[in-house]
Amino acid sequence: MSAKTEARVNLKAAEATALAEPEIDGEYTAKSIKVLEGMQAVRKRPAMYIGSTGEMGLHHLVYEVVDNSVDEALAGFCTRVEVTIHTDNSITVVDNGRGIPVEEMEVDGEMKSAAEVVMTKLHAGGKFDSSTYKVSGGLHGVGVSCVNALSEAFDLEIWRDGYTWTMSFAKGVALAPLERSGKTAKRGTKITFKPDVSIFTVTEYNFDTLANRLRELSFLNKGLVITLSDERSEKAHEFKYNGGIAEFVKHLSRGKQVLHDKVILMEGERVLSEGVLVMEIALQYNDSYSETLFSFANNINTVDGGAHLSGFRSALTRTINSFGQSLGLFKDLKENLTGDDVREGLVAVVSVKLPQPQFEGQTKGKLNSDIKGPVEAFINEKLGEFFDHNPPVARKVINKAIEAARAREAARKARDLTRRKGALDSGGLPGKLADCSERDPERCEIFIVEGESAGGTAKQGRDRRYQAILPLKGKILNVEKARYDKMLGHEEIRALITALGTGIGPSAADLDYAKLRYGKVILMTDADVDGSHIRTLLLTFFFRHMKILIERGNVYIAQPPLYRIKKGKSEQYIKDDKEYVSVMMKRVTEDRTVRYGEGAAELEGAKLTRFLVNLSEYFQFFEKVDKRLRNLMVTEAALAAGLEKKADFGQRTKLEALEEKLKKLPGVTATELLLDPEHNLWELRFKNTQHLQMCLNWELAALPEFRQAAAKAALVRECNVPPFLVSDGDAMVEKASGRELLDYILEESKKVFSVQRYKGLGEMRADQLWDTTMDPARRTLMQVKLEDLVAAEDIFTTLMGENVESRRSFIEANALDVKNLDI
Amino acid sequence: MNSRLRCPICHGLVAGTDPEFPFCSARCRTQDLANWSTGKYVVHTPLFDPELADAPEDSDESPLQ
Repeated sequence: MSAKTEARVNLKAAEATALAEPEIDGEYTAKSIKVLEGMQAVRKRPAMYIGSTGEMGLHHLVYEVVDNSVDEALAGFCTRVEVTIHTDNSITVVDNGRGIPVEEMEVDGEMKSAAEVVMTKLHAGGKFDSSTYKVSGGLHGVGVSCVNALSEAFDLEIWRDGYTWTMSFAKGVALAPLERSGKTAKRGTKITFKPDVSIFTVTEYNFDTLANRLRELSFLNKGLVITLSDERSEKAHEFKYNGGIAEFVKHLSRGKQVLHDKVILMEGERVLSEGVLVMEIALQYNDSYSETLFSFANNINTVDGGAHLSGFRSALTRTINSFGQSLGLFKDLKENLTGDDVREGLVAVVSVKLPQPQFEGQTKGKLNSDIKGPVEAFINEKLGEFFDHNPPVARKVINKAIEAARAREAARKARDLTRRKGALDSGGLPGKLADCSERDPERCEIFIVEGESAGGTAKQGRDRRYQAILPLKGKILNVEKARYDKMLGHEEIRALITALGTGIGPSAADLDYAKLRYGKVILMTDADVDGSHIRTLLLTFFFRHMKILIERGNVYIAQPPLYRIKKGKSEQYIKDDKEYVSVMMKRVTEDRTVRYGEGAAELEGAKLTRFLVNLSEYFQFFEKVDKRLRNLMVTEAALAAGLEKKADFGQRTKLEALEEKLKKLPGVTATELLLDPEHNLWELRFKNTQHLQMCLNWELAALPEFRQAAAKAALVRECNVPPFLVSDGDAMVEKASGRELLDYILEESKKVFSVQRYKGLGEMRADQLWDTTMDPARRTLMQVKLEDLVAAEDIFTTLMGENVESRRSFIEANALDVKNLDI
Repeated sequence: MNSRLRCPICHGLVAGTDPEFPFCSARCRTQDLANWSTGKYVVHTPLFDPELADAPEDSDESPLQ
């Protein structure tokens, strides 16, 4: 234990104040009142001295005692501190320091042993004079006397100058004067205390809490051995760290992915007017977003920081900024990095040791000494030097802070999207929303419609009781020669979020499903590429930020018709090309027959319809395959080659036959069969008319369009034999190819029907839109399911570039057409 | 749902059970929101008639290579 006072030898017996409780009357003397005054004050308002009477205060008692031992270590006289938790939650702390002075001294006119004075008087101590302790954590001299006052039993044993001295207290009152009880060769102090259960609300010591603080102390005092043993559980620990605070930082970084292996360590001293300021700072960055920072002044964990910490922070921010500037890393940054930016992923320990530190409060949470300047200057210099010598580390650290700055900026923009502001009408809803009158969300529907004109039609056509319309406008930007880019602007997304009512936020938990204002959210976009792209954007947004709506089946896609065909007074709406072809063919084949292959055989009725529909689909898939091969004859030959399975590429036979065919085709040169060693499959290479290298392999044959085209090719093979002879009973027309045959039949059918193809919702009348797409009794809605979107998210990601980047993969993007998304 | 996807922002793997799915973290979700807020997400549309959307794109290399 530390010597709280230096006293002269005076062996006059001290007056005993062996009262269990202070007496108020009777032997009430002026002498006793002072002792009682101090100790009684502590017992009366313990929280003023140790912070609380809960768990924190209970553990604080141990720290007070241990801190005194550590002060001995700081002064260079102690190498080992042993802490024991006994079964009754009493504590013993033993050190091998100099031992508390036992000599007598005069206090307030009485002679007492220095040890007794230290244990019973507040503000008695050796630490007001920096010649005894250059640096010390204990400061106000209340520490160990408080522990004494708050203990139901407190036993002191001192080994000093060859003798053992003992003394006991109860609730801060000495039971007998200090007694020389025997001889010893040891040196040091032993204190055993049992916290007073009538004062503390918590009386159980926590091993881990004590272990943490003791570990800290051993990090802060290189080489000092501190042991902790728990007799309640047989747990024991020895803390000894020769690496000091660098090792502390490593310990704090364990389990994290560090950005640089070596801890940055800065150690040095500055001479101040009061004495020497010793500074040790260690830091390391990891890839996490949180900060772990400990600051200490004279071993006291300054949980509220103070001058040393603010010096550290400003120097860190300043140095990172100035290096970032000079390395040119801030080009796309709007402003300098802030203190918060450089904290992300930082693990640091700042430890200073200084004479006569000024703290706030007895628990010393904050250092008030005026040392910000020297600490800041020191770190500026040392960290600057370190960055100069370790540019790669500097870059990593600076980039990490830049990333944090961007995240901060992102959070601001995200807030901008969700914050309510004046652009909305009085009900807080977006101005362009045409809301419904029904208030029960279960029964309400919202149609999200692309474009103002379609929005207008939908507003006229709806049932305003329970159908709301929100028109959204895709913004067109960046028009180039071959494409334009479309996006949903800030206001559109905001309107969408506000209309739906659930709110969104930086965490998935910010969405409040109970506030959803409509049971059905229906996307109604044009049946063209543009419409499908807007829908892609909307679905992507829902998937990413309102996933629960999809999970609970609230999101639907409307199915506006693509055609209206009319014959006389009867009209029919048709939803897609497939149905269109089939309806048109059916009508025409009612009174026609077709002969194929030089008139060899005749097709009629349902069989003819089926052939024509298959033929039409074959041509559709054929075109998609041909887009890759770019030679109609090559595509035809490839589809007819019977390449269906992977095994067909495992041997040469089928490919050899195909090669023979290709060789005869005009424009095809340099055919060769090669074995792809990676997959052990054969592939057929050739050059096309433009002398481009083409390749026919399993990768191509495995594509869905190739398989579908090949399957349809097999279906139509038997009858797809030109020339075709079409007869309507009277006249005969000859067609030289399947394609010509199809075109002719479609033209013929258009003579029978009047056909209207809707290019957009805006081309429909309000009543037509209601009849076909919005009326719950007649419409078809497709429910969007999560699984489909999970599969589609990859495509979304490819589809959506960020502004700058041009996307080579547009063709693949088109794969995400209506068919893939519709469920 | 036990599928795994890549986080749209940082491209790290995310399990379907993650509370922030399809993002790996609230931070990436925030970044994505910021991207929507500033109109960073764009779909490319060809300028020609959608009827012809299947026509070959004028690229100079074969997609098969």
